[in-house]
Amino acid sequence: MENVVELKNVTKKFKDFSVKPIDLQVKQGFITGFIGENGAGKSTTIKMMMNLLRPDAGEIKVFGLDYRTHEKAIKQRIGFVYDGNVFFEGLNLKDIKRIVAPAYQRWDDALFYQYVEKFQLPLNKAMKTFSKGMQMKASLAVALSHHAELIIMDEPTAGLDPIFRRELLGLLQELMIDGDRTIFFSTHITTDLDRIADYIAFMQGGNLVFNQSVHDVAENYALVKGGLDLLDRDTEQAFVHVQRASTGFEALTDNIQAVKDIFGDTVLMERASLEDIMYYSKGGVSHV
Amino acid sequence: MFNLIRRDVILQKRQLIIFIPFILFFIIMGVPPVLTFLVSSIFIPFNTYAYDEKAETNILLNSLPYTRAEIIASRYLGAIVYMILSIGVTSLALFAFNQSFTIADVAIGSGLFLLFAGLTFPLFQIFKPGYITTVILISFVILTLIARPMISFIAEHLTAITDFIANASILALYTGAALAILTVYVISWGITTIIYQRKAF
Repeated sequence: MENVVELKNVTKKFKDFSVKPIDLQVKQGFITGFIGENGAGKSTTIKMMMNLLRPDAGEIKVFGLDYRTHEKAIKQRIGFVYDGNVFFEGLNLKDIKRIVAPAYQRWDDALFYQYVEKFQLPLNKAMKTFSKGMQMKASLAVALSHHAELIIMDEPTAGLDPIFRRELLGLLQELMIDGDRTIFFSTHITTDLDRIADYIAFMQGGNLVFNQSVHDVAENYALVKGGLDLLDRDTEQAFVHVQRASTGFEALTDNIQAVKDIFGDTVLMERASLEDIMYYSKGGVSHV
Repeated sequence: MFNLIRRDVILQKRQLIIFIPFILFFIIMGVPPVLTFLVSSIFIPFNTYAYDEKAETNILLNSLPYTRAEIIASRYLGAIVYMILSIGVTSLALFAFNQSFTIADVAIGSGLFLLFAGLTFPLFQIFKPGYITTVILISFVILTLIARPMISFIAEHLTAITDFIANASILALYTGAALAILTVYVISWGITTIIYQRKAF
């Protein structure tokens, strides 16, 4: 399996925040969801993937190429969608197309107008009059019209109404029918991912906690419930984080087998949702 | 790269409608042709910067398949292209209004523009967005105001320089000035590129 994006030992330090050395691979032909709370380092990582930020150390390769020598070749093959509107807000979509299209060798005008029609976007209205959802659709139309192999999106679903969010996710799935395409997108709405993601990368406090297939996440993580009397310093080792209540405890484990060995049938195990994983990982001191 | 230069026209379509009356106003007011050439040259390139100081614009440009060196090159080359076009339009306007001007006016106007651009373009990368347009506008006004007293000061007190200039031939003088301005412009280009390449968006 080929990696479209490869981060090796990448670090980035800011005054009050830093991305610890991370290794991240984005697999070709799949949708990878990038989750983590606000400020976990998702946008920083995406900016480094786009070469908007340079890492302090480490290596970033996209399509196996280095930005230092192949910046243009890499960006020819990427479609990008950002959280806010990055297009000139006073311009209409037609003019934006006039500015963006000549930059791409494989720009497809017919395809662009197909998306414009599909999304019902006005061509002659200024971008600033667009609603948040329409701006997102416009960004998407631009991002999808040059046959990009890799689509990178930073919080594309943020601020969208549930109906359009579903439409968007459906559209992303449609795009994947063309087997070589890869989508990497960050979100903090984890239910988006339950529907479409193949892989989940989870960042927290500048660390990459995991990057696994949805299947592996479901196999490795579980919510465990049981009586307080079962807990002691040794048995707690099996959990990422434990939350105690008077009625019993609820805990997240990343090692289901260990929990089975220790507790047997005395505890109740449930499938952990991504939200559970994010929530409990935040509260706990993770011991790996 | 050509696309990046062409982008300015698309972006400034509306402002260009102001451009013509703006020049006409200068001409009708009887402003010296040198100043008219200078101001008309400044119009488009500096308007571009007003757009480009926004973070979003830089995110967009840097996400498109352009290198940072190309983005800066398009500004410096674009400034020259638009200067030539503006001077052409201004010359036509002057011609239409039957006002005389000389090649020297064109040369001095464009020389001053390139000097001004060379000195201010790097500032756009240093100062925080939002302030820079104000800084440039004020510095332009101040420069225009103090230019004349400064020249008369130099003429009176630094006779060595004026003697040298008076003794040099016109051709040598123009060539020297052109070379000096060109050097400033190229150095400025280099500095801006280095600053821009280190920026984070």
